[in-house]
Amino acid sequence: MNGLNSRAVALIALRFAPLMLFVALCIVFGTLSDRFLSLANFRNILAQSTHVAVMAIGMTFVLLVRGVDLSVGSVMYLVAVAMGLYLSGLPLALSIPAIVLIGAAFGAVNACFVTGLRIASFIVTLATLFIGRGFALYLSETKMVFQSDTVQTLGRSSFLAIPWAIWIAAAVACAAWVTLTQTPYGRQIYAVGADPDSAAKAGIRVQPIVFSVFCICGACAAIGALISVSQVGAAAATFGYQEEFPVIAAAVLGGTSLFGGRGGVFGSIFGAVLVQTTANGLVMLNADPYLYPLVNSLIIFIAAWVDGRRRLMTERIEQRKIRVEA
Amino acid sequence: MGGVLPASSGGALSRPMRLVRLVLFSDYLVLALTVLYVAALWFAVPEIISPTNLNDIFLQVLPLFVAAMGLMMVLLVAQIDLSATSIMAMSCVVGASIMTSQGGYLAGHALAPVAAVLAIVAIGLLIGVLNGVCTIVFDIPSFLVTLVTMMFFSGAAIWYTAAHTNSGSSIGALPSSFLAIGYGGIAGIPYAALITVGLAIIVHLMLTRTVFGRWVRAVGLNPSAAAISGVPVKRVVIGCFALSGLFAAFAAVIYTARLEAGTPILGQRILLDVIGAAVIGGVSLFGGKGSVIGVLIGVLFLSAVDNGLQLLGLSLSSVYAIKGGVILLAAVVDAIRHHLLARG
Amino acid sequence: MSDLLLKVAGLNKSFFGVQVLRDVGLELRRGTVLGLVGENGSGKSTTMNILGGVLTKDSGRVELAGEEVQPASSRDALALGIAFIHQELSLFPNLSVEENIFLDHFPKRGAGIPFIDRRRLRDQASKALELVDLKVSPTTPVMRLPQGERQLIEIAKALTRQARLIIFDEPTTSLTARETERLFEIIGRLRAQGISVIYISHILQDVMRLSDDIAVLRDGEVVGAGRREDFTVERLVTLMVGRSIDRLFPEREPSQGPGGAALSVRGLSQPGVVKDVSFELRRGEVLGVSGLMGSGRSELARILFGLDPYSEGEVRVAGERLPPLKPRLAMDRGLAFLTEDRRGEGLMMEASIADNIVLPSLVERSRGFIGWLDPTGLEEAARDMAERVRVNARAIDTAAARTLSGGNQQKVVIAKWLLRAPSIFILDEPTRGIDVGAKYEVYKIINTMVAGGAAILFISSEIEELIGMADRIMVMGRGEIRGFFERASFDRETLMSAALWQ
Repeated sequence: MNGLNSRAVALIALRFAPLMLFVALCIVFGTLSDRFLSLANFRNILAQSTHVAVMAIGMTFVLLVRGVDLSVGSVMYLVAVAMGLYLSGLPLALSIPAIVLIGAAFGAVNACFVTGLRIASFIVTLATLFIGRGFALYLSETKMVFQSDTVQTLGRSSFLAIPWAIWIAAAVACAAWVTLTQTPYGRQIYAVGADPDSAAKAGIRVQPIVFSVFCICGACAAIGALISVSQVGAAAATFGYQEEFPVIAAAVLGGTSLFGGRGGVFGSIFGAVLVQTTANGLVMLNADPYLYPLVNSLIIFIAAWVDGRRRLMTERIEQRKIRVEA
Repeated sequence: MGGVLPASSGGALSRPMRLVRLVLFSDYLVLALTVLYVAALWFAVPEIISPTNLNDIFLQVLPLFVAAMGLMMVLLVAQIDLSATSIMAMSCVVGASIMTSQGGYLAGHALAPVAAVLAIVAIGLLIGVLNGVCTIVFDIPSFLVTLVTMMFFSGAAIWYTAAHTNSGSSIGALPSSFLAIGYGGIAGIPYAALITVGLAIIVHLMLTRTVFGRWVRAVGLNPSAAAISGVPVKRVVIGCFALSGLFAAFAAVIYTARLEAGTPILGQRILLDVIGAAVIGGVSLFGGKGSVIGVLIGVLFLSAVDNGLQLLGLSLSSVYAIKGGVILLAAVVDAIRHHLLARG
Repeated sequence: MSDLLLKVAGLNKSFFGVQVLRDVGLELRRGTVLGLVGENGSGKSTTMNILGGVLTKDSGRVELAGEEVQPASSRDALALGIAFIHQELSLFPNLSVEENIFLDHFPKRGAGIPFIDRRRLRDQASKALELVDLKVSPTTPVMRLPQGERQLIEIAKALTRQARLIIFDEPTTSLTARETERLFEIIGRLRAQGISVIYISHILQDVMRLSDDIAVLRDGEVVGAGRREDFTVERLVTLMVGRSIDRLFPEREPSQGPGGAALSVRGLSQPGVVKDVSFELRRGEVLGVSGLMGSGRSELARILFGLDPYSEGEVRVAGERLPPLKPRLAMDRGLAFLTEDRRGEGLMMEASIADNIVLPSLVERSRGFIGWLDPTGLEEAARDMAERVRVNARAIDTAAARTLSGGNQQKVVIAKWLLRAPSIFILDEPTRGIDVGAKYEVYKIINTMVAGGAAILFISSEIEELIGMADRIMVMGRGEIRGFFERASFDRETLMSAALWQ
C-alpha cells in the first residue's frame, strides 16, 4: 500500500504541474519585467487568450472521444475570409450563425471520414487542414481580407466594461460546461472516450456522438475566428496558421487527456490563459520572436508528457486495486 | 469461450465486387493513373513532356523519394512522422553554416563539405531517435511527438539562420565540391540520382533480405505476436524513427546541393508530398504494408500532379488544396482496403 | 410463482461452419434462479449472448413471458427487461456511480428538456443503491470503488431498468469472500421480488446453494436439467465432463522412465497472479496443467517465457538460471510458447504462411552483422515444416494466414516453433476452436516431439484431453498449485473437483 500512496502523491503532483508552471512563469516574467505584473496586462492577457480558449473548448470535445482536430487553424482562416468577403453586408445577428454553420459543416466533413471509414482523425484533419486553407486562399487570392466596421466595432467595444470577446468566450464556456456536465449527451461523451466498446455495449450510440463532437469543434473554431478577427480587424494570408498548436496545448495543459475520457471546460480555459501568458511574457521581455515557436512547442511537449505519465500511473493504481481485492 | 474461431475461407464474391477488389488492390493502379494523368495533360499543356520539364520533374522526384522512403519505415511499424520537413530544414542550415564561405565554421577548409554532410546526417539521426524515444518511452502518440518536433525544429532552423546571416533567409555561398552533388555526375547521370538509387536499393534489400526488415513488417502487422516471437519491438520502432530522420537528412543533402543554399523553409512545401507519396504508394497507415517500388510510383504520381498543376498555372494555394484532397483520397482507399481485408 | 418467464427451445448457432449450439432448450420460472454450468466452450456464453442481444441466433425460439422475442442489440434486450451482467463489467471509471447507473436513461428536467435532473438522479440512484445494499455516495467516481462494489452497481443499473431477468456471467471471479456473500444475499432478495436470475459459474457449490433449477451444458447441448434437489456437486461434475465419443487420442508409449529435469521452477510468485509455484518438467514428458480461467495457468506460462515479471522464485532451464523478462533468452535456451490467443498473439494474419513460420528463427538463419537472409532457403525451410505438420494450404509463400481454417492456423503456429527445434514447448490451449481432425493431428505432433526427447507443458481446459495426452497433471487454482496427479490416478471427477474446490 505504500507504493500506492507514493503513486497517488505523484498523481496529485502531476495534476497540479500546469498550475505550478503558471505560478513559476508569473514569478519569472514578473521579476524580469516590471510591466508584466500589472492589472492592465492581465486584462490584456485575458482578452488575448479568449479565441484560443474558445477553440480549446471545442478541441476538448474531440479529445474526450480520443480524436484530434488539426484543421482548426484552417477553419479559422476560412471563416475569416467568408466573413470579410461574403458576409460583411449582413448584420451580426445573421452573419454569426452563418459562420458557426460553416465551421460545423467543416467539422462534419472531418467527421464523415472519421466515423464512416474509421480513418485516424489526425490524418483526416491534416488533409482537411491543407484543403481548407488552400480553398480559403483561393477565395481570398492570398490578399489581406478586411472586415466590416460592425465586426471591428465588436472587437473594440465592451459591455459593462468587459470586452465583448470575453462575454462571447464566457457564453461558449457556459454552454459547453452545461452540455458536458448537465446533459445525458455530455456524460455519454465521457463514456465513449473511456471505452468505446463498453459504451456500445451499454446501449450508447457511439458513432453519432463522435460525429457531433467534430461539428462542435468546427463551430468553436469559427467562433474563435470571429473573436480573433474582430480584434485584429483583418485577416492576412497567415491568419490562423499553425493555430492548432496553442489550441491543443491549451486543452492538454488543462488536463484533457489525449487518450480520451478525461478533461473539462475550465481546465482548457486555464490552459489557454497559460499559453497566452507565456506568449505575453515573451513579448514583455522583448524576446527574440524566433524563439516563440520553440517555447510553444516545449509547452505542448510538457503537456503531452504529463498526460502520458498520468495515464500510466492511473492505470497502475487501477490494476493494483483489483489485484489487492482479489 | 468460443472466442477463438476459425476464419472464413473467403467465400464467393459477386463479379463487380471482384472487379472493385482487383482495381483497389492492384499495385500498378497508381502508375496507370499517373500515365493517364500525364497523357490527359499533354493535350492541355504539351510542354509537360518537353525534355526540360521532364528533367525538372526528375530532379524534384529525387529528394522527395528519399524522404518518402524514410516515412515508409515509420508507417511500416504503424506510426507516423510529421517532422521530416523540419529535420530537413534544421539539418541543412547547420550543414550550410559549417561550409559556407561567408563566415562558415570551416570556411575554405578542404574537408568542410564532408564535415557538413556528416553534421546533416547526424542531426537527422538524432532527431529521429528523439522522436522514437519520446513515442516509445514516454508513451506519447507519435503524431503529437513529431508535430512538436516539427514545430520546434522548424522554429529552431529559422532562429539558427537568423543568428548566422544578415538577411536571415538562407545560408548561401556553398563550396562547389558540395554543389557537385546536385549538378555533377558520372556519364551524364547526376550524383544525386546515383545516391537516390543507391539508397532505394539498400532500403529494398533491407526490407526483403534482412532480419531487421522482416522484424519491421512483423511489428507493424502484429506487435504482440512479434514480441512473443522474440522480436525486440521497442528497439525496432525506435530504429524506424531513426531511419526516417536519417533519410530526411539525406534528402536535405540533395535539396541543399540543388538550391545552392541552406534555407530554413527547405522542405516546408513538401510535408504533404512526403506523406501523400507514401500513402498513395500503397504504404498502409495501419502498418506492415509497403514497398520501395510502391513509394516510387507514389512519388512519381505526386510529382506529376504537382508539376501539371503548376504548368496549368494554378496558384500555390490551389495546389495545396488538391494535394490535401489527394492524401484524403489515398487514406480512404487505404481504409477501404483494410476493411475489405479484415472482412476476409 | 410457477408461471414461466423465459422459454428457450431448439436454439442453434454456428460460427464459420462450426456448430457451437445444438438444439438448446431452457426454462426459467418467475422469481427463481437458474444455475447454468458447463466447461469452457460448452456454449453457456453463446446462449446468454443470444438472450442479451449481443449475438443473433441461427434458428430456434426465445419466448419471454409467452411472447416470442428477438433482441438485436443490448439496447433491445434491456428494453425487454433482460439485463446481462458480463464478466468484464461495462462501467466507466471516469464517471460517477449515479451517472453509470443512469447512463442511457438519465432522468430529465421535463419532457423535451435536455438537462439532467440532478436531484432526481441522486434520489433514484440512492434508492437503487439501497436495493443492492451499497453504502457509497452516488457522486463517487467509480474509479475509487473496489471490484465487488462495481458489480453491485451493475446490478443496481439492471434494477433501474425494471429488469425481469438478470443474467450473471461468472460474477464472483474477482470478488473477495465477503463481497461474494453480499452478492448472494442480494440475489436472494431479487428472487423474493419476483425477478428471475440466470447464474453462470464454475463454482459448483455456489450454484448448488443459489439455484432453484440447474441446467448443464456440454459441447453446445443441454445434457442435464432439473430441480436443484435432483443434483449433487458430484453429479454435476460427471455431467459436465461426460464422455464424448468424438475425442480420440493417438497411441503413445508412456515415457520411458522420467528423463532429467528440462525446466525446474521453484517458489515462483507474483502478487495477485501466481503464488509459490514449484514444479519440475522432465525431458520426454507431457505435463498437463489444468485449471479454470483465471486460475493462473496462462499467466504462469507467460512468466516462464519471459513475457511477464515475477517478484520471487527462480526458473531454471537444464540447471541454468533463466532471468525474468527476456523472451529472446528463453528462446535461445530452447523454450517455445504457443499462446491461447492465436489471432491476437500467435499469427500475423495478413502475412503469408511462410513469413509466419520463419519469424522466430530469423536471427539463427541469417548471416553477418547486418543479418542477411536467404529468402529461398527460408521459404524452403518453411515449406518443409509446413509439410511436416501437414498445413493444408494452396501456396505457403502467397496465401495469408488469415485465409486458413482455425486448425491450419494452429498448425502454422506450431510449425513456426518447431522450426527452432525447441526442447521445451509450452502449449496454452493448443486445440481451442479447431475441429476434431486437426486436434488429432496436433496430438500426433506432440507425441512425435515427446518421443524425440522434448518436454511439453500442456495447458488445457478440457480435462478429457489432458487425461488422454499427459503423463502427469498439475492442477492450479487461484494462482496456486492444488496438486499433482500421476497417470495411474487420472480421474475426471477428482481432477475437476481439485480445480473447482474453493
